[in-house]
This record gives sequence, C-alpha cells and structure tokens, in this order.
Amino acid sequence: MRRRASVALLLALVVAQANPALAYLKFGTTVGGRQVTLKWSQMPVRYFVTNVSVPGVSADDFQAAVGRAFATWHAVETASISYQLGGATNAAPGRDDGLSTLGFVSRPDLDRVLASTSFLVDAATGALVESDIFFNAAFPWSVASGGEANRFDLESIALHEIGHFSGLGHSALGETELRAGGGRTVLAAEAVMFPIAFAPGSTAGRRLKADDIAGISDLYPAGGAQALGSISGRVTKNGAGIFGAHVVAFDPATGSMVANFTLNANGQFSIGGLSPGPRIVRVEPLDDADLDGFFDPSRQVDLDFRVAFPDRVVIVPRGGDSGEIAIAVVAK
Amino acid sequence: MIVFCGAAAARGAAAQTAGAEAGRFDVSGGVSWIGQTSIGASDAGETTPSNGSLRIFSTSSDLGAAPAVDLRVGVRLARAIGVEAEAAYGRPELRVAVSGDIENAAPTTAVEKIQEYMIGGAVVWRVPGVQRPRLAPFVAVGGGYLRQLHDRALLAQTGRYYTLGGGVAYLLASRSGWLKATGVRVDARAVVRRDGVAFAPGSHAAPSVGASLFVRF
Repeated sequence: MRRRASVALLLALVVAQANPALAYLKFGTTVGGRQVTLKWSQMPVRYFVTNVSVPGVSADDFQAAVGRAFATWHAVETASISYQLGGATNAAPGRDDGLSTLGFVSRPDLDRVLASTSFLVDAATGALVESDIFFNAAFPWSVASGGEANRFDLESIALHEIGHFSGLGHSALGETELRAGGGRTVLAAEAVMFPIAFAPGSTAGRRLKADDIAGISDLYPAGGAQALGSISGRVTKNGAGIFGAHVVAFDPATGSMVANFTLNANGQFSIGGLSPGPRIVRVEPLDDADLDGFFDPSRQVDLDFRVAFPDRVVIVPRGGDSGEIAIAVVAK
Repeated sequence: MIVFCGAAAARGAAAQTAGAEAGRFDVSGGVSWIGQTSIGASDAGETTPSNGSLRIFSTSSDLGAAPAVDLRVGVRLARAIGVEAEAAYGRPELRVAVSGDIENAAPTTAVEKIQEYMIGGAVVWRVPGVQRPRLAPFVAVGGGYLRQLHDRALLAQTGRYYTLGGGVAYLLASRSGWLKATGVRVDARAVVRRDGVAFAPGSHAAPSVGASLFVRF
C-alpha cells in the first residue's frame, strides 16, 4: 500500500505537513505505531523532468535550472545525498509511476501556490518510493541569471522544493510583514527552506544558508559531518515545557544562524549539524508565518512568551552535544 | 599569560652586585593580570530579497580581564641577553553582549569562563647603561602556543600569542653556594592573541602587568 502526501511553497500561505522529530523539521510517516523519518535510502536519487515549457522558460531552460538547484544541494560537503538526472518524461508530476518527476503544471486554482512537492511512501515500510515537484505554470517564471522583474526565479524555488524532495521540512528563519491585501511579504530570510518565497525578480534564494546545510547534513551525514556537533536543551515557562518555541543558534564568528523548535511537550529541542564553537542562543515565539506551515494544526504551539537570550555562551563540541541547556522564558 | 621575564635577564651588568652577576639559571613564579580585549563584533542578519541584510540583533564580544599564574625557567646566554621558557594559566571570561534585538528583547551579556594556557618563550635584553646594584631594567619579546578550553573542556581552541614589554628585576638577596640569589620582578607587557577564541580575524591585544619571585642558580 502506498500513500501520498504533499508540501507546497506558497506565496503567502503554507500547508506543509512536517512531522516533527528531534533535530530539524523532517518529514516522517508512521509505520506500525513508530515514526519513520522520510529520506532516500539509495544514492544517487534519480529524477526526471517533463518537457513542458512556459513563457520565458523552455524545457531545456527548465532542465538546466533544476539541474543547478540539485547541484547546489549535492555540493554540501557534510551531506551525502546525491542526485542524477534520469531523463525527460511526458508524465506529469503527481502520477504514481515510480518516477520522481519535476515539471510545470498549470493550476490557476492554487493562486498562492508557486510549487509543491509530494511524496509516495510505502505505508508498510515507510520507504520513500517517489517524490514529485510541480511548478505552477499559472505564475510568471524566469531563468535569467540576474532575475527578471515580476517573474519568480525558477532556480530559487526549485532549490526550496528540492529541500523538501530530500526530506527537509520548513525553517522559520525569516521575517515577514502582512500585506494589505492579505498574505505576507518576506522582508528577509536566512534559510532556503523558509516557507514563503521572496518577491518576484529576486534571486536571493539561490544560495543555501547555514540552516539548510545543517539540516541536510543532519539528515544525510557524510564523513565530514562527524566533526559537527549539536546543541540540545529545554525551554520552559513557569517551570513547564513549551511546544513550538523557535530556538536559534547564532555563531558570532561566522554570523550564521541555525535553528529548530522545541518539539515536544517537555520543551526539548536539538539543533544538529553545527560546526564546533561558541554560540549565542535566542528563543522566540513563532510569529512570521502560519503555524500550519510548520506543525500539524492539532498541536498546541505556545506563542505567549517574550524573546529571550540565555545568559551563557553555549559551546558546540566537536562531534558531540552541548549538554542540556535550560532556558526559561516569561509570558508577554 | 606570561608577564615576567626569566631572571636570566636580570644579571650581567657591571654595576650589579656579585649575587646578581653570579648564576646562570633562574626559576620564577608569580601572578599577573591581563586586561580586557575585544575579540570581535557581528550582527545576526537575514538576507533580504535584494541580497542585503536585515539585522536581527548585534553582538560585541571580549575576553575579560583576569588573573593568571606563571612559571618560567630562564637561562643567561650572554652578558645582557637571556632566554626563558614560560607557561601560564588563567581563567578569563568570554563575554558576548547582545543588543539591538529586532523584537526588542532586553540587552543581555552571555558569559562563559574559559581555561587559558600559554606555553612559549621569550628573549630578554637587559638595557645597558641603566643598571643599578640591585635593580635591572629589561625589555622582552616572546610568544608561543595558546590553548583555550571551553566549558567542561567540551572544546579546545588553539592559536598563538606574542608579548612585548619590559620591567625591572630587583635583587632581594645574594649569596654564595648553589643558590646564588633571590629577587622579585615586575613586568608590563602587551599580550597579543591570535586565533583561539576570537570572532574576528587578526590579532587582539591586551595590556598585562604582573609580579613574581625568582631564584637564581
């Protein structure tokens, strides 16, 4: 038996269904009562592209842009995932044909969905069988090297979707503001896996950030990842753990940020894939996107606390964990 | 941190006492104080659509002033020149001040006490023409290996250090026999750390003063 699930990159509304596990929002599935992280077990991961073109993007352009995005993920030295173009196909993404397919599909009804990644999972074993990505042809697209006004950058959006394709959920490292007409505008983001896309014309989403690299390294650790470490701890309010607090680890030496959430009722969190060194930790309520972009709507996410910085420098050891960091927050 | 020159530097001038003239090897130990030094400032920023940066908060970091204990062994090579091996241990605080949070979080300072080891050497030159019977001014330049251990020795960071400064050695007593002399020294130096615990490239200088007792053989 197989079942399909999907996650979408939206203009302003997100319907991701990441199953939280300790250490990053990863996709998961439940098999026999236990949670299995969704990830590819065989490398390279083969993908196919459709020969559908849209105004401004030929089929060859599409294949090239998608190829660059796959290459960007593949280039992460501390991650072992690799990809291989299987060829072109006439089959549209979303068909349960055993082929992981990327292509344009016109879905004007999904007026806030730029692209979406779906998974086909063996419900008996939890094995990932297939993952498809559709790019909504109802939007204007561009593959221009410097971007193109009023068009979404295909490579940037593909980079985000391939993160999902690889098993990563969303990151909350971004700032948005509400738009007058509804939805949100991204002011800034420090993760390709932030759930809301940059405005048309921007190519700022073509480069992976530290948070993306840590996530993929945590999911597919390579040899070099053995030197990486982690921070773990617990966030409490009035002595009780809180769920869904966003915990950010800032590296003063590089300026990079890597983040995760408290992912259980005890308020525990774990941030893996970190290079060794001192970190400043910041805890904030999730407030820059819709909650269901990160968590199952049935989960009770605590948003009622003030941003806090623990008064200690947290050390990431080489190949180990910081030991539990206790962080107390107070209600707003 | 090493702030004292080996006592090898404190001998050899014609005006010095017989006790100061005698002896070739010195062993000294003491305490020093190393001043605060800035080790970098950086912003936590997020990338804007135009590839600019939006500041989330700012940090400014330093290694706090701290005492250290030192041990040195010196040997006189020539009338006014000596060399010494030196080791020091201190526990300065790593302090990171956080401010300017985008969501108005209260400014705070995150702190960690580190263990710092310095192992190296120095060349000591007794300044000609200013020597007194019991007082020996000197200048010294040195450097060596820097090792800094974080909380519970979870992580070691290494680098180099350099020193430049001077001081005076004062003979308390001199005698015949295998123990030639005893004395005290005070030093003032600039200590320059490179690499190790630092959040900005380059060197980071701090002032240092100290005092020690030495015995001469």
